[in-house]
Amino acid sequence: MSDAPVDRVLSGPARPVLAVVLGAGLTFGLDLVLLWWAALMIGVVAAFAFVFATDRFASADGDAFERDRGVLHGVLVVPTALVLSVAGGLLAAWLLDLSLIEPVAALMGGALGSLLALLLLRRLSGMLALSFAAVFAAGAIAIAVTALVLLASGIDPLHTFARMLEYGTRPDSMVQIINDSTTYYLAAVAVAIGFQMKLFNIGVDGQYRLAALMAATVGGYLVLPPVISQIVLVLTAVVVGGFWAGIAGYLKVTRGVSEVISTIMLNAIATGITAYLLSTDRIAVEISTNNIGTPPMPESAWVPGIPASFLGSDERIFGFVFLAVAVGVAYWVMLNRTRFGFELRATGQSKTAAEASGVNVRKMVFLAMVFSGVVAGLVGLPQLLGHSHHYALDFPTGIGFTGIAIALLGRNHPVGVAFAALFWSFLTQASGILPFDSIPQEIAVIAQATIVLTVVVVYEVVHRWGRRYQQQQIGRQLGTVAGPGAESAQAPPEGGTDERGRDATVPAADGEHGGEAR
Amino acid sequence: MSSTSSGGGTTPSPAVELHGITKRFPGVVANHDIDITVAPGTVHAIVGENGAGKSTLMKTLYGMHRPDEGHVYVKGREVRFHSPSDAIKHGIGMVHQHFMLADNLTVLENVVLGAERRFGIGKRARARVRELSEQYGLGIDPDRLMEELGVGDRQRVEILKVLYRGAETIILDEPTAVLVPQEVDELFDNLRGLKREGLTVIFISHKLDEVLSVADEITVIRRGTTVDTVDPAATTARDLATMMVGGELPVPELRESTVTDHVVLSLEAVTVRAPGGRAVVDGVSADIHRGEIVGIAGVEGNGQSELIEAVMGMRPLASGRVRLEGRDVTGWSTLRLREAGVGYIPEDRHRHGVLLESPLWENRILGHQTKPPSVRGPWIDRSGARADAARIVSEYDVRTPGIDVIADALSGGNQQKFIIGREMSGAPRFLVAAHPTRGVDVGAQAAIWEQLRDARAAGLAVLLVSADLDELIGMSDRIHVILRGRLVAQADPTTVTPEQLGSAMTGAGLDGPKEGDTGADDENGGRA
Repeated sequence: MSDAPVDRVLSGPARPVLAVVLGAGLTFGLDLVLLWWAALMIGVVAAFAFVFATDRFASADGDAFERDRGVLHGVLVVPTALVLSVAGGLLAAWLLDLSLIEPVAALMGGALGSLLALLLLRRLSGMLALSFAAVFAAGAIAIAVTALVLLASGIDPLHTFARMLEYGTRPDSMVQIINDSTTYYLAAVAVAIGFQMKLFNIGVDGQYRLAALMAATVGGYLVLPPVISQIVLVLTAVVVGGFWAGIAGYLKVTRGVSEVISTIMLNAIATGITAYLLSTDRIAVEISTNNIGTPPMPESAWVPGIPASFLGSDERIFGFVFLAVAVGVAYWVMLNRTRFGFELRATGQSKTAAEASGVNVRKMVFLAMVFSGVVAGLVGLPQLLGHSHHYALDFPTGIGFTGIAIALLGRNHPVGVAFAALFWSFLTQASGILPFDSIPQEIAVIAQATIVLTVVVVYEVVHRWGRRYQQQQIGRQLGTVAGPGAESAQAPPEGGTDERGRDATVPAADGEHGGEAR
Repeated sequence: MSSTSSGGGTTPSPAVELHGITKRFPGVVANHDIDITVAPGTVHAIVGENGAGKSTLMKTLYGMHRPDEGHVYVKGREVRFHSPSDAIKHGIGMVHQHFMLADNLTVLENVVLGAERRFGIGKRARARVRELSEQYGLGIDPDRLMEELGVGDRQRVEILKVLYRGAETIILDEPTAVLVPQEVDELFDNLRGLKREGLTVIFISHKLDEVLSVADEITVIRRGTTVDTVDPAATTARDLATMMVGGELPVPELRESTVTDHVVLSLEAVTVRAPGGRAVVDGVSADIHRGEIVGIAGVEGNGQSELIEAVMGMRPLASGRVRLEGRDVTGWSTLRLREAGVGYIPEDRHRHGVLLESPLWENRILGHQTKPPSVRGPWIDRSGARADAARIVSEYDVRTPGIDVIADALSGGNQQKFIIGREMSGAPRFLVAAHPTRGVDVGAQAAIWEQLRDARAAGLAVLLVSADLDELIGMSDRIHVILRGRLVAQADPTTVTPEQLGSAMTGAGLDGPKEGDTGADDENGGRA
């Protein structure tokens, strides 16, 4: 904190450098005497304190920073930023530690954490901090509920959690988690596109199964050169998924059929079609003694995996993890940067307002459904092209429903959904060890269910509260300045000046009221 | 008759007493330090301008929201309502301005709905409805289908619903807004009937002559607080008006005429049919010139909304043409019309004008999502939209801490100013302004009028629909009166009075009921 006057002398760009050097240096130094994570935490906290202390000199220009100043800032934004930057630093260091030597990983983690501290303190808005806080709170509640369930069944919760954490972070488990999340992520984005429009696409499940079956059939019977083959298969899946969802969209737009009903029925029909086609009389061949499926695809159609040696595992990560990332980025860009995305969100928020603004609501409903189906079509591909290379009876099902839960958990946000998918598959994977300790594996399902419920409820409550808070804050802010402002604004039109003056004092007087109440 | 206070004995304790009620909303203080005492067995009127805080106050009394400060007493005992059902338990019922009835159910079913526990849903309920109907002279047959009933009957069903639930104090929120004069008289007879039976009526209105004719006591509210409570026998409409506006209101007024010969929008026998085939807009023809504001006057529900939606391309025309600058734009989509330079200030801004949960700068894009500065090709131009939103905020005096604030956080007046700024940007040729100052505070009202005047001087053609006759007369270059979907009269705002307009709106013709009105299309614009 004694650095503050120094900083005033230094120009703006020097500050981040100082913060990072402080954080990273402390981490590195302390790493020699302490455990790496303890060192890192101290380092990042120190960097954070430095940034926080020097902020009032540097923040004159940052409008995002000024805006949310208030009680909310003090009690929420600052602690959230602190927790997030420490967590970010720890996570980064831990991941880097898998492929680098420890001191270097700690150093880099410390640097990253310090950078995060700088960034978050300046850029984290009140509402976003509120969202993070809500998720933290929900997580805490969910863990507590799970612990209670464990206690009630006479199992030591701490021991269980420790086992899960240990097993879930083993290299092989991590590869599995990443692979599962790739699939989950695609499914969740498919659902989230619908959610943006207040459309509930329950049919992701049928869409991806049908799409995967068709892609597998095309891949099994059609031998194409590499690259072209993959492109053709992706296109097949996308078209089939989009078409299948498009049926529901078309029915909704033209006949007013609820997409919930129609997609559920389409799921059933997809199951029927799959059962019909997947027979040795038709497209299937015998794969092993007890299993039939589409003919195995030639190697030219495979998507090679990424060796996970940097995580210390011999397994491979789905090559299509990049597809999932690309879909996530495309989803974000589409939603926030394109006219189409704006119209989508506008329609989702208020159909009437969208209509009055010249948005073709029916077209948007149909297109949203189709896009949801297009992404759903991709769900089965990482598994199909990256691992099994055929669609057989044992092809994973039910991912569409998991996708709904993950979309809810991630609040339809591309990044939120990514974390939700990782978390979900972590729980699934980590619980795999529990039967060995004769702890029921279902504990993971309980945890998953609880966290979805708590996140949805807590988030909604906190969000509503935050909005009201923001409104009150603005009301108060404007209430106190309305006095002089109102007078000058009302002066131009002709009319009784005496009345004007009196009117203008009313909001001003009440602003004081508000102040007192606080 | 009614309950007397347990302690005093001589004077009955007030049916309802509000003391020091304060209620704040974002950006505005809707009510502060309200004190009202309603004596039992009376009709107590609460008058005030649009936006004075009458409805907010009644929502407080009916438990729809809780006051930030203050106390509510019912029959002398303090109560705290958490929901309307609490209010109903204490014998307070409310008839809303907009009816909450299911058309496809019978009267009985509508009345019983949600109150099944009181008298069941069968014979007992029917008997009770009949009994109430007779007791209060409402004349309602419990077995008629709701859709067969007219507006007046529907209102009586709403009153019956409240009585059925055991209300002793009935709040009527602007009950006459949807009624024609004869129906108003019937309603007042009903209210006197209720009073005779010992019930208390709280009557909210901003129509002074009505209030004077029916109320036993009148409380005037201005800018969210009570000004005074007066005896109607000892006061006049003029005094009340002075109290309501606290002196002079900003007067809507046009200066010199800027009307030109150039027709911007021309409606030719525009007809719009409701799903049932009934013509809700019937052969409307009108020309709107550059620099002209054409007002449409009419009792709500006479086809104004449908006409606007037809002009904006949101509702298909059954027949007729719409021309914009000579081009036939009949059947164009809303988007195409907007791109061609048509601005739209919708009558219900929350439903049609803004995305409440989006920040202001995103709301700048709404309705202009195909044009710069908010959009570049298929991409959103964030910096352009933000810069332009900031321009609107400063030019139109929108009171907000910034453009990242969600629209919902602003007061109605500021939302409206933002909408007007948005619709005025991009130099529109034609503007549809539906109730541009509805629910807007006085300061914002004056600012909005000023904006409209400036735009008119700059050559904008405006179609103005409003329920506020003073606004129509003050802001229009020409006024058409719409009745049952037809333009039945044309008036010159420089000479016409609100009373004359009012009588024309109810079908009596501009010169009042005495003169035999010779056909609806009788034009006597600007009586000699």
